Amino acid sequence: MRATIAGVRYFLLGLMLFLPLLGATAWAQAQEGRVQETQAQRQQVQPGNNAPVWRNVRSGTEGYTSVQGRETGVLIQTQGQTWRELRNGPIALYGGWLVMLVLIAIGVFYMWHGPIGLHSPPTGKMVERFSSFERIAHWTMAISFCILAVSGLTMLFGKYVLLPLIGHTLFGWLATLGKNLHNFVGPVFMFSIVVFAAKFIRDNIPRAYDITWLVKGGGVLSGEVVPSGRFNAAEKIWFWGGVIALGTVSSASGLVLDFPNFDQTRALMMLANIVHVIAAIVFIVWSFTHIYLGTVGTTGAYEAMRDGYVDETWAREHAQYWYEDVKAGRRAPPSGTSDTAGATTAPQIQHGGD
Amino acid sequence: MISVRKFVFAGASLIAVVAITGCGEKEQVVVYQQGKYQGKADTKPWENDPGASLYTTSKWKAGDKSGWENALKSRNQNQNEYTRAE
Amino acid sequence: MARMKFICDAERCIECNGCVTACKQENEVPWGVNRRRVVTINDGVAGEKSISVACMHCSDAPCMAVCPVDCFYRTEEGVVLHDKDMCIGCGYCFYACPFGAPQFPQAGAFGMRGKMDKCTFCAGGPEKDNSKEEFAKYGSNRLAQGKLPACAEMCSTKALLGGDGDVISDIFRDRALKRGKGAEVWGWGTAYGKPDNPQQQAPKGAKS
Repeated sequence: MRATIAGVRYFLLGLMLFLPLLGATAWAQAQEGRVQETQAQRQQVQPGNNAPVWRNVRSGTEGYTSVQGRETGVLIQTQGQTWRELRNGPIALYGGWLVMLVLIAIGVFYMWHGPIGLHSPPTGKMVERFSSFERIAHWTMAISFCILAVSGLTMLFGKYVLLPLIGHTLFGWLATLGKNLHNFVGPVFMFSIVVFAAKFIRDNIPRAYDITWLVKGGGVLSGEVVPSGRFNAAEKIWFWGGVIALGTVSSASGLVLDFPNFDQTRALMMLANIVHVIAAIVFIVWSFTHIYLGTVGTTGAYEAMRDGYVDETWAREHAQYWYEDVKAGRRAPPSGTSDTAGATTAPQIQHGGD
Repeated sequence: MISVRKFVFAGASLIAVVAITGCGEKEQVVVYQQGKYQGKADTKPWENDPGASLYTTSKWKAGDKSGWENALKSRNQNQNEYTRAE
Repeated sequence: MARMKFICDAERCIECNGCVTACKQENEVPWGVNRRRVVTINDGVAGEKSISVACMHCSDAPCMAVCPVDCFYRTEEGVVLHDKDMCIGCGYCFYACPFGAPQFPQAGAFGMRGKMDKCTFCAGGPEKDNSKEEFAKYGSNRLAQGKLPACAEMCSTKALLGGDGDVISDIFRDRALKRGKGAEVWGWGTAYGKPDNPQQQAPKGAKS
């Protein structure tokens, strides 16, 4: 008897749980039917009810309009609000903090560690590290990148950082200049990526010794000299991840935004903008570390890219396998001539540090 | 001669201080509040004399805000054909 | 206190494009710029409805929020205006705007955008009211002449109402009650969000 009562009770409980579910499905089906109803059908039953029209308006479907232009038939588009909240919210906030924290981290590292110097005294004999073509390719890319980075950061953060300092008039003028520079320098940067990649891809192919280099952290903290090819593992990662991957992503998304005369939709441009901003912030932040290591962070690195020559000690400590190959004549120096005339006529550069 | 290290540190900390002030999470836009003027300098529409403009039907004295509002309100009734038909 | 708004009555709009023409004529807008447009839903089939749309002068304006140079401002009457001297033509306001109001005349090669142009509620810009400079950049300043937007004043069927939000919603409510249908105030939820004072009752008696 008791078991029967319990059974009935459970049955009823189950029914209570299950029935609303049934009801909900039926209700949802009815709603779905209504959503598909056109205004013509609705007018048959409710002449004064325009709900299907307003549903059309809210869904962003395109109506007819005699005004020509991009998406002029759409009355309300809702993606703009999403884009606004993403751009002004997390992207501006976390992007800004990322830029700041990396700059602070670099500053702290410099104060604590100082520049990465040489372990042995320089020999005074110079060896060619970059040909003039390679240096032109690098600096075209570097200068265009800096213009793009500064103008791009102004577009995203200038309103909060620079505008309160210099006022609307001057900031508006600077931003116009920055936007036009950004639009025209962008394609230059894309071209330089192609040239740069073609020129340097050979020396950036990953090798087995790169893993050893990475495991030892390049010997930066231990003070150990870790051998590497012409470029070390970190430089190779910067080449593939930064120049190739982020360069391609930011270029492709930038092209969508740079040429608005192909009637691309607003949704596509907003998506491109989000991708562009995120890729660019990561790119810029990563480039801070490259710029630091290429200038004050490493003794002799900036002179190598400026003049094309490094001291033999520098070459042996920073790119041992490459240096040995060049010395043994297994590969030609960067400018192609295998004689040592270049080394003797090379400018004498002091690797003093500060 | 100032050492490079000091120069770089001074520059970096200056940028850090300036940029960190922009990093806070703040209100992105002022939401409209009834009757509050928000933004840049502009002459208010009631500050000039209506007689100065051509074909004017509304009348108010320069600087008389409520006069201007009443003029607009009465003109708004031109859009109400129920009052026009009466 | 006046708070300027637009209402378009979908029951009345006959897609004559008179408002579009009135706007172009009144403000002498540049080529390729249409501050106002008429969109027809269900064109040519039963249940066709037309709506005239321009800048709705939102309370929480997305254009204002995303502008990288902060060129927008808002007048006491709630009209969203902008300063063309600061505008850099980035197009962000066009992305963010739900109504597609910001327009860009093409300036130079590769579809480069010029200074943004949009409906000003016939309230001009930051220059001196009714001056030549103001007219050249922003068009007519009818509010400073004691007039209302040309599009709304010219509307042949009085479908488009423009003016103080309280006044025009009273006109519209009266109309919807008399005909017994079509009381939807289009776009107001998107543009103005929740009412400033939801408890506020319409003034009794006076039609104001």
